[in-house]
Amino acid sequence: MKKIFSSILFSLFISSLHSQTIPVAPKQDSLIILMNGIAHLGNGEVIENSAIGFENGKITFVADARTIRIEQSSAKIINIYGKHVYPGLIACNTDLGLNEIEAARATRDANEVGDFNPNIRSIIAYNTDSKVIPTVRSNGILLAQVVPQGGIISGSSSVVQLDAWNWEDAQYKTDEGIHLNFPSFYSYHFNEDGGSIGVNEHYTDEMQNIRNFFDEAKAYTQTAHENVNLKFEAMSGLFNGKKKLFLHADGVKEITAAVLFAKSYKMNCVIVGGSEAWKCTDVLVANHVSVILGRIQSLPGSDDEDYDLPYKTPALLKKAGVDFCLSMDGFWQQRNLPFLAGEAVAYGNMTPEEALMYITSNAAHILGIDNTTGTLAEGKDANIIVSDGDILDMKTNNIIYAFIQGREINLNNKQKDLYEIYKEKYGIK
Amino acid sequence: MKKIILAALFLPILILNSKISSAQQTFPVNGVHDEREGYYAFINATIAVDYKTLLSNATLLIHDGKIVAVGNAVTIPAGVTEIDCKGKFIYPSFIDLFSNYGIVKTETQNNNQQGPQFISNKSGAYNWNQAIMPEVNGVDFFHGDEKQAENLRSLGFGAVLTHRMDGIMRGTGAVVLAGNESDNEMIVRGNVASFYSFNKGTSTQDYPSSLMGSIALLRQTFYDAQWYKSGGSNEEKNISLEALNSQLSLPQIFQVDNDLSILRADKIGDEFGIKFIIKGAGDEYKRLDEIKTTSVALIVPINFPKPYNVNDPNDADLISLEEMMNWEQAPANLFRIDKAGINFCITKQGCSDDAFWKNLRKAIAYGLNPADALKALTYTPAQLSGEWNNLGSLEKGKLANFIICSDSIFNDENIIYQNWVKGKMYRVNDEQISSLKGTYDFTLNRMGAIKLSIENPSSNSVQLEFHDSTKADVKFSLNDNLISLSFAMPKDSTKQLYRLNGFIEGDNFSGKGLDPKGNEVVWTATRTSDESEKNDSTKKENKNPEFGKVIYPFCAYGWDTIPKQETVLFKNATVWTNEAEGNLENTDVLISNGKIQQVGKNISVPANARVIDATGKFLTSGIIDEHSHIAISQGVNEGTQSVTSEVRIGDVVSSEDINIYRNLAGGVTTSHLLHGSSNTIGGQTQLIKLRWGYAPEQMKFAGWTGFIKFALGENVKQSNWGDRNTVRFPQTRMGVEQTMFDGFIRARKYQSDWNKWNSTAAKNKTILTAPRRDLELDALSEILDGKRFITCHSYVQSEINMLMHVADSMHFQMNTFTHILEGYKVADKMKAHGVYASSFSDWWAYKYEVYDAIPYNAAILTKVGVITAINSDDAEMARRLNQESAKSIKYGGLTEIEAWKLCTLNPAKMLHVDDKTGSIKAGKDADLVLWNNNPLSIYAKPEYTFVDGICFFSLQLDLQKRDFIHTERTRIINEMLNAIKNGEQPQDLNLNFNLLYDCDMLCDGSQIGAQ
Repeated sequence: MKKIFSSILFSLFISSLHSQTIPVAPKQDSLIILMNGIAHLGNGEVIENSAIGFENGKITFVADARTIRIEQSSAKIINIYGKHVYPGLIACNTDLGLNEIEAARATRDANEVGDFNPNIRSIIAYNTDSKVIPTVRSNGILLAQVVPQGGIISGSSSVVQLDAWNWEDAQYKTDEGIHLNFPSFYSYHFNEDGGSIGVNEHYTDEMQNIRNFFDEAKAYTQTAHENVNLKFEAMSGLFNGKKKLFLHADGVKEITAAVLFAKSYKMNCVIVGGSEAWKCTDVLVANHVSVILGRIQSLPGSDDEDYDLPYKTPALLKKAGVDFCLSMDGFWQQRNLPFLAGEAVAYGNMTPEEALMYITSNAAHILGIDNTTGTLAEGKDANIIVSDGDILDMKTNNIIYAFIQGREINLNNKQKDLYEIYKEKYGIK
Repeated sequence: MKKIILAALFLPILILNSKISSAQQTFPVNGVHDEREGYYAFINATIAVDYKTLLSNATLLIHDGKIVAVGNAVTIPAGVTEIDCKGKFIYPSFIDLFSNYGIVKTETQNNNQQGPQFISNKSGAYNWNQAIMPEVNGVDFFHGDEKQAENLRSLGFGAVLTHRMDGIMRGTGAVVLAGNESDNEMIVRGNVASFYSFNKGTSTQDYPSSLMGSIALLRQTFYDAQWYKSGGSNEEKNISLEALNSQLSLPQIFQVDNDLSILRADKIGDEFGIKFIIKGAGDEYKRLDEIKTTSVALIVPINFPKPYNVNDPNDADLISLEEMMNWEQAPANLFRIDKAGINFCITKQGCSDDAFWKNLRKAIAYGLNPADALKALTYTPAQLSGEWNNLGSLEKGKLANFIICSDSIFNDENIIYQNWVKGKMYRVNDEQISSLKGTYDFTLNRMGAIKLSIENPSSNSVQLEFHDSTKADVKFSLNDNLISLSFAMPKDSTKQLYRLNGFIEGDNFSGKGLDPKGNEVVWTATRTSDESEKNDSTKKENKNPEFGKVIYPFCAYGWDTIPKQETVLFKNATVWTNEAEGNLENTDVLISNGKIQQVGKNISVPANARVIDATGKFLTSGIIDEHSHIAISQGVNEGTQSVTSEVRIGDVVSSEDINIYRNLAGGVTTSHLLHGSSNTIGGQTQLIKLRWGYAPEQMKFAGWTGFIKFALGENVKQSNWGDRNTVRFPQTRMGVEQTMFDGFIRARKYQSDWNKWNSTAAKNKTILTAPRRDLELDALSEILDGKRFITCHSYVQSEINMLMHVADSMHFQMNTFTHILEGYKVADKMKAHGVYASSFSDWWAYKYEVYDAIPYNAAILTKVGVITAINSDDAEMARRLNQESAKSIKYGGLTEIEAWKLCTLNPAKMLHVDDKTGSIKAGKDADLVLWNNNPLSIYAKPEYTFVDGICFFSLQLDLQKRDFIHTERTRIINEMLNAIKNGEQPQDLNLNFNLLYDCDMLCDGSQIGAQ
């Protein structure tokens, strides 16, 4: 045992040799004005030559640079002429900060044992010291909804900001939702070359199980209890409207059933995944249900589907009037979130400004944080990124400034460090 | 009660003693001998002497289980039992070459071992691999089973070739008869044919776990048998190889699971001079041209799929067009095979007893020539099994195996009455019962005007219709000539029964009975007519069903006509040449005969050229994916041993993978299909061009020098495989190095052994034994000789360094490190060794060995001077390799020209095909993509993809295909609904899907950790 222990210590030591710990940015101490950038507000609008001021962590003005006069001499003015400025991007439905290395069990904290775990809270395990977070942040993702995985009810998610000393400081909106993996109408059996899909004979039983849990939780929350049931306590936010129910469902039948399920409990719900949401937009629109659309850079669900169906799903949802945002799977993968919006432009009838909304303002709205973030607007948190070029295109995406609640974030990360070290080794410019 | 017991005892003794005289002379008899001559004459019959000769009013004379004479002028000797077959038909009974009748299935054994099983569990001097069992002789295991035999007879079969359906080499089968006499008499001949498959069956040994592993094992075993015969037997005793050698002259029957595997089996046969008879899966029509070219004979099943339940449109969406088309077209399979002139027989295997005749008639309704159907059930199986002297026709001297039936054999109305096996009669359907079918005038006491209709006497569908059109169902039974009926009067609400007895006399019945009150009643039934119905049914046969066309490949987005090379002029494009000229504006490119002919300004339009206006668009060479696992059948890893250089992805290329099409839509034209990374020395790879629609062999990149996949690190040392996998060597990176050295040192010894042998004088060769051909070492030797290149899955710098040292020590040139996410740490050493790098763009953190992976890797390697590619290892990412390459502009600042080469020219170079593809230059292959935008932009999408000058994808063609899919789906769904409405039994949703492979996919579909 001792031997194992020391080898783990040793390996951690090795990897930390060439990766510095990045300090958390201090509180904003003066007014900052971003001058002359091309501002993409996150609501579909663009200001070609903008001036954006923020102080004490809040945006104080967003204006055309030609129309304002700057009076405060103490202001820190950053000239970003020709650069692009955006609201910070929001990653929904991720295990960022819960997992560090997928295949290394000791570094995995996303998936708790048990079927019904509403009391399991992601914020508790959110690791602000993860080496992955700075690589995501330096691509413009400033906020993330951190979600536990697995089981039927995986647990409670929280929205965090990605530059914090500890999980307590990271909290942006805590325990905002509970996540339910909706049962499938189909069952899957795997064999050598693939598998087969059949009807899930246990669906009704599985649903009954879930309803029982919800019914009993509802009854429980109506009175006080000396003998506290942690699971039911955690459910109370759902019944009093303080929490949203995030229903993870991809198939059209599951999505429809999930919407009806939430409706029967009069709960605010959001569909997560939703790859076939385009088939039931009527149900979603009529019931005002939003969708966190899963990774669209994926293969069609069946051989017969259009090769570009996942790519154009955002356009289909937009056309039908569904409220949705885009999301990426995994944790380290989150840094590619902006490119999903780019993909939606390439294969759908939409502009980059529209696509941007699906990773900023719409995401904020769906997570219930749109009063403080998601657009560049006066009074909102100064969650802002500046890029050399269009952030939706990897060819031009290069984040040069990022601010979280006005704090200028260190954009360095472990990978940039290694890059610099080896550039120097080889004498590369 | 006592009486009954006595009768039951008496009966079996009777059966035991009455035998046809030639029977079983070696056995003692209990009681008085009752040998009968079995001398019968079937007269006035219509006799099919063979599948093509039908004699009317003929006589069949059999004696002692054999046919004595047949014809129109047969003299019947005295003392022969005459059986009048007026109006009846006699056919040779059917033969099934693919059966396990009377052979008990091998029990599946649990491998109770904690870890992997490397060697066969079978004790004795047998083969090392448990799935190789040529020593098994079906005849040793045969024991007649009357229940199964009765089923066979009722369908018309008289003999089957039965074998033990287990394993890859299954040993021999025996021709046995479907009678109920002793096994000694029912076996016609043992060791008739030997059997093979790709399926290891109940073997608990790990190897092989993939189709390519099965193929390698078959090949190696055939080579081992050759070696054993030519002297290897002096070195070891091997019962399995001896058995294999002794049966190679027999018919060789190979069972496969699908159309493409027919081609695979045939290719193995070609290597060893064996012409397999191939038992297919009933989907031969999907690749009939290629199958015809093999000139194999086929054994074809008729287990047609049932229509799906498609009432729920969402459920119906899960059913692929492929499955729908297969439902519609599978019944036409035999028709198409027949029309193509392929020699075939029909097997019942896989088809339920109930469905056999239904499906056989359906095949004929779909166009199969009835005479050819009969041939496929009699003549051909008799010929192929070498039993033509005994079976397959009704000629003098053959076994008296025949069926007597009511009608022409394939007629819808035909009923088999009797099936005679070796001169013994077995009743199938009661002739009398069958003959009762029809309508009768029925009287009950004095009540008349009642109609009795007997639709199907054996299934009790008998009805009375009274003068007021009310109806009563009748319970009907017949025993010999005695009949009983019971029914309730329709108007009687208490449903009390009339119970009647009676007897048959000619066409009429009469009798007495009791009414519900116990009063005696008398009744009669007089036949009215039964002719009109028959005429109706013969008319129905003339209408051939309609069914769709075969498309290539047989799935969504297939072609009804495979596209051909075109002459195309791209006008006014921005051309990214990847050549010294760089990116050219307003430039034309002309292609024809599959090659780029001209790159320049204002090229004049040749005759017959198609002109594509490329104004504002970008023309590039096609994307080349150095690391792909698409288009592979049944297993990407043979990860059961640490060294499997004998397996070849080239053996298992699948032309039917939809991801070929999807990759084309992403601008990919060439993919390097790799074995997985679950073992140190993996399998041989295959470079393909994405010629969507063409057969596997036609997709292979011509003139390419082969590669092999190696792997290092966590996967090969099984770090993430769970606690069960901790014993396979190697478990550390130290052991990986030794595995490599060991392989190459063995290969060097192998080479020298062969060199010695080859330089041995011919006269000495006769007294010496040639070295054993070893497929594993063949591949490693090729590496040592520079005739095969390595692409090695690798991540961390230590192991990269290690493999370069192994290569130096063993004097070969290491070619490609693939994945290579820590290549940036040893870029200088890689440059010095002249190796290539093929990397992910920005993957990391999925396992410990990629925790230091950085997205700047490709840029650093490029700038140090290592030729670098960006690969996918993933069917989805493969269609965005342009974007993945563009990431090295963001991460590391490559120029657009440098970034673009990462997915085009650079992989071409590392695959040694840059003389053919990878850039736009006159003389190179016309592998081209036309993009709507800067190809490195996220906003770019391919509008046309050409491979070898053939347009395999365009946005316009894609729209046409979508239309086709929609129209066909709608049409076939309606057909299915109709079929179900017309009484066909639907099947519930149970649909197959294919796994998407990546490096670490094990064969059971589980993931052994991430990439």
